[in-house]
Amino acid sequence: MSRNEPDGAELEALLARCAAGDRAALETLYARVAPILLAVLMRILRRRDVAEDALQDVFVSVWQRARQFDPIRGRALAWLVSMARYRAIDLQRATRPAVPMSEVSALEPQLQSEGPDENSDVLGSGALLWRCLEQIAAPQRRCLMLAYEEGLTHSEIARAVNEPLGTVKSWVRRSLIALRRCLES
Amino acid sequence: MNYEQAELLDRLAAEYTLGTLRGRARRRFERLCVTSAAARSAVYRWEDHWSALSRTVRPVEPSPQVWAAVSRRLFGDDVGAGAAPPRVRRWRAWQLAAAAGLVAVALIVGLIVRQVAPPPLQTLAVLGTDAAHPVWRLERRPPLTALTIEVVGTVPEAAGKSYELWALPPGGAPVSLGLLPGSGRAERALSEPQRLALLAADKVAVSVEPAGGSPTGSPTGPIVIVTPVPAAG
Repeated sequence: MSRNEPDGAELEALLARCAAGDRAALETLYARVAPILLAVLMRILRRRDVAEDALQDVFVSVWQRARQFDPIRGRALAWLVSMARYRAIDLQRATRPAVPMSEVSALEPQLQSEGPDENSDVLGSGALLWRCLEQIAAPQRRCLMLAYEEGLTHSEIARAVNEPLGTVKSWVRRSLIALRRCLES
Repeated sequence: MNYEQAELLDRLAAEYTLGTLRGRARRRFERLCVTSAAARSAVYRWEDHWSALSRTVRPVEPSPQVWAAVSRRLFGDDVGAGAAPPRVRRWRAWQLAAAAGLVAVALIVGLIVRQVAPPPLQTLAVLGTDAAHPVWRLERRPPLTALTIEVVGTVPEAAGKSYELWALPPGGAPVSLGLLPGSGRAERALSEPQRLALLAADKVAVSVEPAGGSPTGSPTGPIVIVTPVPAAG
């Protein structure tokens, strides 16, 4: 584990205390993870002032949504980083949907009334992700990294790697399928 | 759910968490996650996987103003104020005086009544389908511990459904403030999370839910009213 990894059990305990209304816990949590989240936000939003405003929003949400964090479903740092990334993505200029709406619509009727999914396993090893990413060809892997770390859209990635949009979309799609197979193996 | 749907769901979750699912498709998938446990599981799995990538970032120390702003938005300006408010101190002094029998009972009663008379209600929002058709009036008494909700117009007919009130904090998930009455006037005590959500909210909304309220804790039915609220405090 790198220098950046705060103790997961501590973060979970802090989130539980936030859920119970303990303000001091939020302050400690902020001290632990705000610098990591700000770095993540700045990579995507590019401007420090905008990223700091987003960081504010993220911590207001963390306090309000701490009760929704379920340690069985995911790890605390992943949850916190995801909240920051989604906030940053929402703050970026709204772009055209990258997946046809029909695909999302197609799922909705079947999924309305499902019970909890008992089969969800929580992997979580970072080493595994890296091992699987290494099996993806370098240009395709670069597309994934540009999307995750810089928050680029398909079109922006296409410009960045100088490939046609259609190529980039299918690279991302196929890389994700390959990644999932590898992660599950 | 068949295999193909599971595949599609996983791919959408992957693109959602990666960030390449955008625009209306992104919003739509978020709504799907509210109702589908399978969608949420897929998202959590991918979030956990991707988070390995965040471990390589070099942390950046935020400016001190950021925490100050978070704390102000969530807890108000009075965080850490040690002294009791003046009114409470005066009230204790009168209690002592009364105990010592120094002041006539009638006078004390008169003073107490004046001292502890609740501050006037302030209108927080008038909820209606448009300005000409108000339906509910929300009022609060500072400090914000309860809401008074009064029906001031005609509540639109919604057979077998309930109207639920939500605080909408900017950038946060809606927090339920309970069901809206169909008639009359109701005083609703606010839990601490509800109070904080309302303090942070810049809008409130009304959604149509199954009778008894949203089964998920988030709005599930159509949102029929969204109204800005002044900064509470």
